[in-house]
Amino acid sequence: MSLLIDSVSKRFGEVQALQDVSLEIEPGEVFGFLGANGAGKTTAMRVVLDIIRPDSGTVIWNGQLNTELPRETWGYLPEERGLYAKMNVLEQLVFFAKLHGVRSKEAERETREWLERFRIPEYADRRAEQLSKGNQQKIQFIAAILHDPQVLLMDEPFSGLDPVNVALLKEAFLEMKDRGKTLIFSTHQMETVEELCESIAILDRGIVVVGGSVRDVRRSTGRQMVRLAVEGDLELAWLGTLDGVRVTRRGQDYTEAEVAPGHDPGSVLKAALSRGCTIRHFEMADPSLEQIFIEHVGQIDTTERTLAPKAAQA
Amino acid sequence: MKGWRTLFPNAWYVAVREYRSRARSRSFVLGTALLAIIAFAATQLPVLIDFAAATSQTRLEVVVLASGMPSDSLSVLDQGLNGPATSDPNAPKDFVLTWITGANVAPARLEALTAGKFDALLVIDRDPNTHDLTFLLRTDLAQDGQAVKAISSALTNLEIEDRLVRAGTSTGAILAPYALQVVPVDSSSAMNSVGREVSTDLLSTGLIVLVFMAIITYGMWVAMSVAEEKGSRVMELMLNATTPLQMLAGKVIGNGAAGLTQYGIVLAAVAGGLLAQAPIHKAVVGSNAGTQFGGLAPNVLAAFVILFVLGFLLYSLLYAALGSLVSRQEDVQSATSPLMVLIMAGYFMSVFSLQAIDETWVKIASYVPFFSPYLMLARVSVGDVEPWEFGLSVLLLAISIVVALFLAARIYSAGVLLYGQRLSLRQVLKAARVSR
Repeated sequence: MSLLIDSVSKRFGEVQALQDVSLEIEPGEVFGFLGANGAGKTTAMRVVLDIIRPDSGTVIWNGQLNTELPRETWGYLPEERGLYAKMNVLEQLVFFAKLHGVRSKEAERETREWLERFRIPEYADRRAEQLSKGNQQKIQFIAAILHDPQVLLMDEPFSGLDPVNVALLKEAFLEMKDRGKTLIFSTHQMETVEELCESIAILDRGIVVVGGSVRDVRRSTGRQMVRLAVEGDLELAWLGTLDGVRVTRRGQDYTEAEVAPGHDPGSVLKAALSRGCTIRHFEMADPSLEQIFIEHVGQIDTTERTLAPKAAQA
Repeated sequence: MKGWRTLFPNAWYVAVREYRSRARSRSFVLGTALLAIIAFAATQLPVLIDFAAATSQTRLEVVVLASGMPSDSLSVLDQGLNGPATSDPNAPKDFVLTWITGANVAPARLEALTAGKFDALLVIDRDPNTHDLTFLLRTDLAQDGQAVKAISSALTNLEIEDRLVRAGTSTGAILAPYALQVVPVDSSSAMNSVGREVSTDLLSTGLIVLVFMAIITYGMWVAMSVAEEKGSRVMELMLNATTPLQMLAGKVIGNGAAGLTQYGIVLAAVAGGLLAQAPIHKAVVGSNAGTQFGGLAPNVLAAFVILFVLGFLLYSLLYAALGSLVSRQEDVQSATSPLMVLIMAGYFMSVFSLQAIDETWVKIASYVPFFSPYLMLARVSVGDVEPWEFGLSVLLLAISIVVALFLAARIYSAGVLLYGQRLSLRQVLKAARVSR
């Protein structure tokens, strides 16, 4: 009863989009794919959906190969948002639902319900091209869930939305989780992942560099973070001289340092006390996902590395 | 193949969507209306021609001073000017003749001519020496115009008739029919009269043009609709909801049905126009006339329908495949140009084949799937085709459609996901090998 991605590889010409990717996603879980642009998140989702066949490897849901499963198993919100521009909203949502085997009447009722919930019931009879981008995105979300899929895959679902719509969509997102759906989404917004996900996988150039529960991933390096602030000493110059401790951030509130694996974070507190400092703030924590991500991927790569061939290369 | 089991109902839903969005589009509504109006107008051309003829009549007055005119002088002149008499007394004539005898009327008629009461005054007299008829034509009509030429040749007939009568005979006696019997050697080719060939050639050309237009226009619709979905990225939603086979089948059926609707409306306008021809003719020209149209042989009609549908299916599948290769709708035209060449080649071959229907190359080409929709149609409508020949051609065409369906589905499922610069067919086929 889980989604098993087993040693999936996929190459497009020169680009190795996925390399020996293996993941297990528990049913009812919220799972996040993290990675820079071109890391293979979209390809991984398309392989799961059987839109793209991998060069090798299999995808199994509920003990069945994805190639054997009915299409209505999946709900998909693609990264590239698109609707039939000239078709009215209700008509096209009913059309998409019918393709997944939902009866017209039911599809219409569900559509109106969801439009109501997203506070856009008056858009049912408008053409898609008359809607704002954010509202089109909500329509697409409805299109992805109308047929009550078991697994919902969403590619960058929150990108390009204003905070109000992000909140609306997150609410719908969590409701799907409450209904027992398995949710998989990709993003490069770390806060969203920490807020919503139970498990994640960080992809880099087609390889899963780290995966598992968010807690395990954050502990995967063995490092601990320490945040310290003392009375009358903003610099804390002595902190960097401690064995296995590296200062990562200095600030007005506190100074943050990283404690190498095998060293006791408590030793920082002891050192501070032995220096006679008055402690204002002391905190131990796992590294943030962002730090983990940077550690594994190097840095958040802002250059495009997509499958489209590059025009010119230095 | 899994695709076959699950082709419906999704292909049907896609087809209905395609049909609706096509039929509701402004270009479809305006285009169809325009075509129907043009078609209706075209059927009224004969009325227009007759109307123009009726309004450009030449009024000719003939004053006869000569004595001993042949008894049928008036009818000889009338036939010379207006052609053989028709059964319809109200049919429009090029010349309106007034026949007046007596020397005393001439000055008065000359006054009337000057006043514009008629267009030409012809005075017929007899030469006292040679006894030939002499003619004097007073008119402002152009000396070398159609009317004067017609009058002059009609007068030649009248002069000859007069001379023959004076010689003791008549044109009628000289041109009296005689016996001629033509017996064909091969009795089966007896039907091949010249008249039949001309009309069937026209009919075949018409049918071939209908097939040609349908494939070019409606095939392009399919390519455009694929490119549009890809361009608007709605394709990504569709790919999760349907299989490429369902999408292809739905698009071809939906656009084909929209095309047939347009054809039906235009053909209805043509039929309505032909039916309305007689009443309109009567109202405008004031006489009965109408195009006589022979029936379409049922076997030709059946062959036309079969080849029309199969030809459209084959080509539109390939149009869909090529449409999936472009990222923008503007590139559809250039991406589908190879198909255009193929279609044009088949069309021209079939037009030439009408004059060489029994040549070996025509027979061979009528089995080649891309050309058979035209060439087999040409052969059926003009030449003699054995049932097995037609059957074989249709079978090969049907097989090629199945092959095209799977090939197109392959290219399509790979093509729709590849964005970027124009893709070569080789790149796509490479990608297609590993796609579903």
